[in-house]
Amino acid sequence: MMSFYYANQPLIDFFLLAVGLGYSQQLALRAGVFSIATAGFSALGAYATAILVTRHGVPVPFAIMIAAFVGIAASYILSVPLARLRGAFQAIATLAFVQVVIALLLYFEAFTGGAIGISGIPRVMNTGWLLLAVLVTIYVIWSINRTSVGRVFSALRQDDSVAASLGIPIKNYYALAFVLSGVIGAVFGSLRSLYVFNIEPIDFGFHAMVASLTVVVLGGRNTLLGPIAGALIMAVLPELARPLAENRGIVNGAILILVITFLPNGVGDELVYWFRRRMRRRNQTTALTPQPHKEDKHVIATD
Amino acid sequence: MLLDVRNIWVSYKGIQALRDVSLHVNKGEMVALVGSNGAGKSTLLNALSRAVTPQKGQVTFNGRDLGRLAAYQVARQGLLQVPEGRQVLADMSVWENLQLGMLAQGRRPAKYTLEQVYDIFPILQERATQIAGTLSGGQQQMLAIGRALMGAPDILLLDEPSLGLSPLMSDQVFDALIRLNRQGLTILLVEQNAFRALECTQRAYVLDRGKIVIEGASADLMQDQRVIESYLGS
Repeated sequence: MMSFYYANQPLIDFFLLAVGLGYSQQLALRAGVFSIATAGFSALGAYATAILVTRHGVPVPFAIMIAAFVGIAASYILSVPLARLRGAFQAIATLAFVQVVIALLLYFEAFTGGAIGISGIPRVMNTGWLLLAVLVTIYVIWSINRTSVGRVFSALRQDDSVAASLGIPIKNYYALAFVLSGVIGAVFGSLRSLYVFNIEPIDFGFHAMVASLTVVVLGGRNTLLGPIAGALIMAVLPELARPLAENRGIVNGAILILVITFLPNGVGDELVYWFRRRMRRRNQTTALTPQPHKEDKHVIATD
Repeated sequence: MLLDVRNIWVSYKGIQALRDVSLHVNKGEMVALVGSNGAGKSTLLNALSRAVTPQKGQVTFNGRDLGRLAAYQVARQGLLQVPEGRQVLADMSVWENLQLGMLAQGRRPAKYTLEQVYDIFPILQERATQIAGTLSGGQQQMLAIGRALMGAPDILLLDEPSLGLSPLMSDQVFDALIRLNRQGLTILLVEQNAFRALECTQRAYVLDRGKIVIEGASADLMQDQRVIESYLGS
């Protein structure tokens, strides 16, 4: 066990970071916000932390907290125009947001270090802290799922006009989902900067955007297991496919196509659904009287 | 007067869908809105629930001008629409759908408890843990109505509740609506099957190409020559 950990420690750490960003991405998609802004939020969080820690000597815990507030502020401002858009237009707007962030990071060289980025960031993160961060994130989302807010998010994703007819203020809930996505993205960006020594704009570009989206597409957008499963596939696959290293892009693309075609809900979601169906069948055979409330207690995520 | 609609005009996708429509619904009434396809029946309901915004005219509900309220605020006032085509949230369980219905209640007191809704539609209790998308059409319609009841409606707007249902199922749905009305629920019903609508309502309006052309007691309309020719057949 320990030898496995020591041999694969960087892999495990990047897996945990990918899970965190996956949750940021998932929260938006789950509420029906077609946002791909996670990379932009993580860039803001990472740069805020790096600048504060390396240049102003701000203690690390405060730097992470400020990064979180930067994420909240940015996502809240962005949620105002975003609430007026739907579907693909939201994707385009958030794509533009990420590009604007990258452009600004390149442009304000004196402040951000331009294309070279910021180096000499103390490496204070380790597997334990990252694991703690992921667990806290899971707990927060799990708590949300247990309240009516989780149900509202699911309702918004399925049909926002029906949601409005049920008395749900859709713009407020879109904004809430987006801000949650923003704060998680910024925090994990911040943690990433405290792990990798140096950051540069390219770390948060198109590749990062696709990566966190892939985690959710592979894993699933509704259940808590989704991003874990997706990030696991993304972490393990390149290792297994090492003989095909030169064709890694082809392998990743093929896997993505296969999952979308045959498991459109994602690997993690499919697993949870399968398990729930089994439980339901077992309940039906053991007890003929339905138990409507039981469901809500043992299921991890609503929906 | 619970609902008072005065001279509303609605254009929808570039078409003048409603012209100068006025109608009212009294407390405790069940009122039908009949008309052929494309007459503007659904548009009228959508204008009342604010899924579309009227260009002109005034809607007063419970003595309050709905003015520029958003759709969700109208729902929270107790004006609840059951949308056309049984729009249940297909990925969620029956129970979760009903729980979501409670959000429209806002700060108003509840009118129907979960138990009462289960009493009206026992099948919903039987299927409480089932995913709503796997229910039959009639069961989904019952769930959509039950979900609206959970939101403490002062008036229920129903858009073609029998659409696509077997005769037996639509009988069951209409029986439930009649029962709810007898217990005091105000209902405004859009229905293509004019005979069925006139049969179970007290008053009715006939909508034709965006205008109200006939109005009166449902029993009288059933004898009206124009209605018989255009909507009831021989």
